Amino acid sequence: MLRNLLRSVTTRNLRCSIKNNGVTTNFVNQRSIAPLSTTELALKEEKVKVTFVLYDGKKLDTEAKVGDTLLDVVVNNDLNIEGYGACEGTLTCSTCHVVLKKQDYDRLPEEACDEERDMLDLAYGLTDTSRLGCQITLTKDMDGLEVKVPETINDARS
Amino acid sequence: MSGRISVVKWPLRNVRGARLITTSTQNTKPTESALEISQKPAQTCPVKGFRARSTHAAIDTSIFDMAPSVKSWNEVPGPRPLPFLGNTWRFTPYIGGYSVEHIDKVCLSLRAEYGNCVKVTGLLGRPDMLFVFDASEVERVFRGEDAAPHRPSMPSLNYYKHTLRKDFFGAEENCAGVIAVHGDSWSAFRTKVSRVALSAGAAAQYTVPVSEVADAFVQRVRQIRDDNSETPGDFLNEVHKWSLESLGLIALDTRLNCFDASEDSESMRLIHAVQTFFLSVGQLELRAPWWRLYPTKMFRQYVKALDTILSVTLSHVEKALKECEANGSSKSLLQDLVAAAGPRVAAVAALDLFLVGIDTTSNAVASILYQLSLRPSVQERLYEEVSKVLQGRPMKPGDVNQMPYLKACVKEVMRMYPVVIGNGRQLTKDTVICGYNIPKGTQVIFQHYVMGNSDDYFSNASEFKPERWMTRSPAQKHHAFASLPFGYGKRMCLGRRFAELEIHTVICKMIQAFKMEYHHEPMDYHIHPMYTPNGPIRIKMTDR
Repeated sequence: MLRNLLRSVTTRNLRCSIKNNGVTTNFVNQRSIAPLSTTELALKEEKVKVTFVLYDGKKLDTEAKVGDTLLDVVVNNDLNIEGYGACEGTLTCSTCHVVLKKQDYDRLPEEACDEERDMLDLAYGLTDTSRLGCQITLTKDMDGLEVKVPETINDARS
Repeated sequence: MSGRISVVKWPLRNVRGARLITTSTQNTKPTESALEISQKPAQTCPVKGFRARSTHAAIDTSIFDMAPSVKSWNEVPGPRPLPFLGNTWRFTPYIGGYSVEHIDKVCLSLRAEYGNCVKVTGLLGRPDMLFVFDASEVERVFRGEDAAPHRPSMPSLNYYKHTLRKDFFGAEENCAGVIAVHGDSWSAFRTKVSRVALSAGAAAQYTVPVSEVADAFVQRVRQIRDDNSETPGDFLNEVHKWSLESLGLIALDTRLNCFDASEDSESMRLIHAVQTFFLSVGQLELRAPWWRLYPTKMFRQYVKALDTILSVTLSHVEKALKECEANGSSKSLLQDLVAAAGPRVAAVAALDLFLVGIDTTSNAVASILYQLSLRPSVQERLYEEVSKVLQGRPMKPGDVNQMPYLKACVKEVMRMYPVVIGNGRQLTKDTVICGYNIPKGTQVIFQHYVMGNSDDYFSNASEFKPERWMTRSPAQKHHAFASLPFGYGKRMCLGRRFAELEIHTVICKMIQAFKMEYHHEPMDYHIHPMYTPNGPIRIKMTDR
């Protein structure tokens, strides 16, 4: 009986995977080439400028889509921030930790949820204006946003 | 953080001090003062008052940079293995002095005798182990993890998945699940499932049905109370049923009706199979592994139980698939999984949830209820909080987020009595831990029970103080990596959101319904195989 079930599942699975291919399953690796979004697609492709300031002072200027999270921006633009977003935006690590300017922090539409706070507790070099990049969704009025990426172990290794 | 300062004996810390200076703001010269990162994170907490804390500079793990100060594996202190017998003999009853049921005490004494990092070698059929009692080293190892950390797992399950039923688990690429699976195959599977299961709102959609199950549990408790209004001796078994019922809902979209299932129903078969699995897995893992030589009776039961669980999950996945096709949209975890990753992934994920998601949650709940029953004032404060939020209406998504004291109580019990007393990694590369070069392949066990109860990491660690999780001050010691009941990082508990939802909901409902008291001898905890009160949980439940 078990074997029969298995067989039927396999054929169904094929059909299913063809049907659903490319919707959410492409998130294989954060370094994958295929662009991806962990949030809903923005209706129009509006762009904003975002700058990541690394702990050693190096600045990474980039263009980002409205509706993407900061983690999406790092992944899609292939920014070289080692170890950033290890858990792929599932709120199980704190490697996408960013520090915002006070005024930007206060303007964010959503406060950190409990799940994010639990992870922020585990972030290195936590500040009053720390957030996780995977939880910050870009809006149009965030153009010119500058965030600081604190040091992580992986930075130290390079 | 005096705990930290007092342990400068390892040369590594000096290196870390040197690094901290170079990372300070003078060197990086940020233009905005608001962007400054604290210059001395190891000494002072940068945030005033509220949630804060990381602790340690993360530093380079490569041994080449600090070769002069790194000591070798042979120098790690630990109990000496005897020739031929190794250290396994120490777990022999009466002679050895170490007992499997009281590993918690063994670990406390190991730390007292040998320090913050202890080597245990020569265990029959197991790789060499390193017990780590230093939260900052735990943090360092976690931060240094690569993309697919290796988590030691049950050899018997390994055998089931990769040898006995490899036709099923190996038929499709990357479909063996998350438990007892490693490397790329784990990583690919985990990615498929974790997006669906771990994102912030994933569990919230189950708030209403999970609270209905909690209501049914409260009702059940009312029925099974004895003449003294006390829960019966096998209360833990009832909590298991609640846990299974909740999980059936989440993993299989089904009310299994565990509280009143008939003997020949599918639910009962599943309940029996899950029970058999728990009973046999402890025996198979902790006793001498005869099953490796021939299929013992215990092992055959174990395999049969796993087959049953697998076939039941498969039949439910079939159902979910049909519904998915009929509706065109998915509205549950199972349907999401089927849609996102295919039915086989969904079935295997459900199987894994059943294997590790039932007794963990139920033992946690039993332990929390027991601890609360000892503390009427905590119950009163909880009752106030819960009543204020719910005001007599049924629970809805987001309610639990308004109950910080409830969450803090759960965290506090898990700090003092974590259901899983330690977490482990099998090193995928040579790593420096506590100043010793630990070779690849070593099993490193982070001793969270010991660390969580240590004054080095939590002020007044022996006191039950949920408040420590709500407001924090720099004067209070609190090391975030000392207590990690769900682990951290890429291998964090995949069922965490659901476990938390279930636990918060059922505790909330129990507090609403009863005043709990415990009128028997205080219970010690033991490993069984979860860390749980040793004895019948007879709590007096008085209706509110």
